[in-house]
Amino acid sequence: MSAPAKTHGLLAEFDTPADLMAAALKCRDAGYTKWDVYSPFPIHGMDDAMGLKKSLVGWFTFTGGCTGFTTGMTMIWFMNKFDYPLVVGGKPLFTPLYAFPVSYELTILLSAFGTLFGLAALCRLPKWYNPLFKNERFKRASNDKFFICIEAVDPKFGHAQETLQSAGAKIIETVED
Amino acid sequence: MLALSGMAMMLALVLAPATVAAAETHEAAPAAHAEPAAAAHGAAADAHHAHGNGVPDAHSLLTQFGYSYLTAYMFCLSLCAASLYLVFLHHLFDAGWSVPTRRISEHIASLMFPWMLILVIPILLLATRMYPWLTIDPATDHALDVKKGMFNKPMFFTLVPLLITTWGFIARSFRKNSLAQDKDGAAVWTRKNRVLAAWGIFYFSLTLTLVVFYLMKSLQHQFFSTMYGVYYFAGSMWLTFITTYVLAQYFSRPGQVLAQVVGKRQIHDLGVLFFAFTVFYAYIHFSQYFLIWNAAMPEETFWYVLREKGSWFWVGHLILFGHFFLPFVALLNQSIKSNLVVMIPVAAWAWLMHYVDMTFNIMPVLYPEGLHLSFWDLVCWPGLVAVLGYLFLKDFRSHPAYPLKDPRLKEAITHHEIPAPGQAAAHH
Repeated sequence: MSAPAKTHGLLAEFDTPADLMAAALKCRDAGYTKWDVYSPFPIHGMDDAMGLKKSLVGWFTFTGGCTGFTTGMTMIWFMNKFDYPLVVGGKPLFTPLYAFPVSYELTILLSAFGTLFGLAALCRLPKWYNPLFKNERFKRASNDKFFICIEAVDPKFGHAQETLQSAGAKIIETVED
Repeated sequence: MLALSGMAMMLALVLAPATVAAAETHEAAPAAHAEPAAAAHGAAADAHHAHGNGVPDAHSLLTQFGYSYLTAYMFCLSLCAASLYLVFLHHLFDAGWSVPTRRISEHIASLMFPWMLILVIPILLLATRMYPWLTIDPATDHALDVKKGMFNKPMFFTLVPLLITTWGFIARSFRKNSLAQDKDGAAVWTRKNRVLAAWGIFYFSLTLTLVVFYLMKSLQHQFFSTMYGVYYFAGSMWLTFITTYVLAQYFSRPGQVLAQVVGKRQIHDLGVLFFAFTVFYAYIHFSQYFLIWNAAMPEETFWYVLREKGSWFWVGHLILFGHFFLPFVALLNQSIKSNLVVMIPVAAWAWLMHYVDMTFNIMPVLYPEGLHLSFWDLVCWPGLVAVLGYLFLKDFRSHPAYPLKDPRLKEAITHHEIPAPGQAAAHH
């Protein structure tokens, strides 16, 4: 803590998902903002325990979907009615009916792209390096241990040690950047 | 006392055709005056014969009652059939989340026998007035001739009641096993129901399609659509998810019977499934329409051509925007699905839309000129819903409100519970 720029954060280890959940509740109530939990598997109810707000990914999906639908309709109108009018099967030059399957597919495609890239952007991915990966103990986060890391950039980082101790952490380590 | 009034209502509904028939004999004299009009209509009907609306005696009150009754019956059959599907799906997926609301589905599905069987009797009695093909000689009608293996009187009058009875048997077996488990908590009941669901879903899907062909599609026997069964299924599931949603919300209020077991998760998932079927219904209906529109073969297009004439055109648009677009946009946001201020009006709207959908399928045959609301619509729909609703509540109140000892009940309730520190061992 003498050189905050060098310290990434405090890493606390827990044995069970329930202990992690209880500790997450304490961190949430203590008002930390720059922290995260790590577990080998998803834990139902953790979003609430961490006080996470609703994800913004849905808006990327929605925007992608709207773009896809509009693109499909416009493209077919432009190609078949405007740019190169062509009668196919005695049908009108343009109707939303036959433009629908293509627009629908594009809605799905661009919704999926919106979701994928939106998620990546919100998670700040791709990211080549995370200081936690240097920590030997942290490797068990993908096996049988549960972790909380409060980052040094958190305004309340000064109290992190006591919060994690009172939350029942077995081991607390400082992670260097 | 209440049981008696329920029986009386049921009797009144079943006997209504007979009463109307009696009323009609009194009207015989005025009917003679209406002869030319009727003849003109008959001629028009003949001209349209290839188009499928050749309902004999379209002006008779009895025929009009039959059509309104059929619309209401198909609406109620949707609820029973899709509730049975919910029970099938619950067991096939070995689901945990739906345990607390399963008894609602079991009771609604069990209305199939004897009630839906009794209620189908008026349709069978009036069938020759409602289904033109029943009185046509196949030798004179090519479309009927090629379908006479299925569309003949013995098959129609045997299969419809028989299949409804077998569904009732399946639904009641589910409920019987589920109630037996309430007593001893043995896993064998779950296993029995799983086996029932494994063959039952195939049997039910095939036979439901058959009954929907008989009761609804055969009003215009010339029509072809292999999607018709799944179309009815999609609309039915849509209606049933929102109905189960409302019942689950109602019975999980503080102090109500499901308050301890139905939580946010059940409510949210039912809302999500309702939303999913909003899309699925639109997908199926669009596919049916689009294939017919694209191929443009007269033996298929006549069905939609009829439904694009007069005010039916606007009814079709109401289904497009009201059955799909409005609920789709309204429910797009995640948190809306547990917001009662939105969901209750949406539920009422969904009930209306499914009825409009049934009307759109059935009524244009009788009223080719456009939407026609009759007195019978106002009697049959609320009447059938009231009778079946009463019978459901009676069943629901007289049994445990949820499967008390289902092996998956605990996980359904504790799914989102945040355990207290130190209880970790107990939880895992």
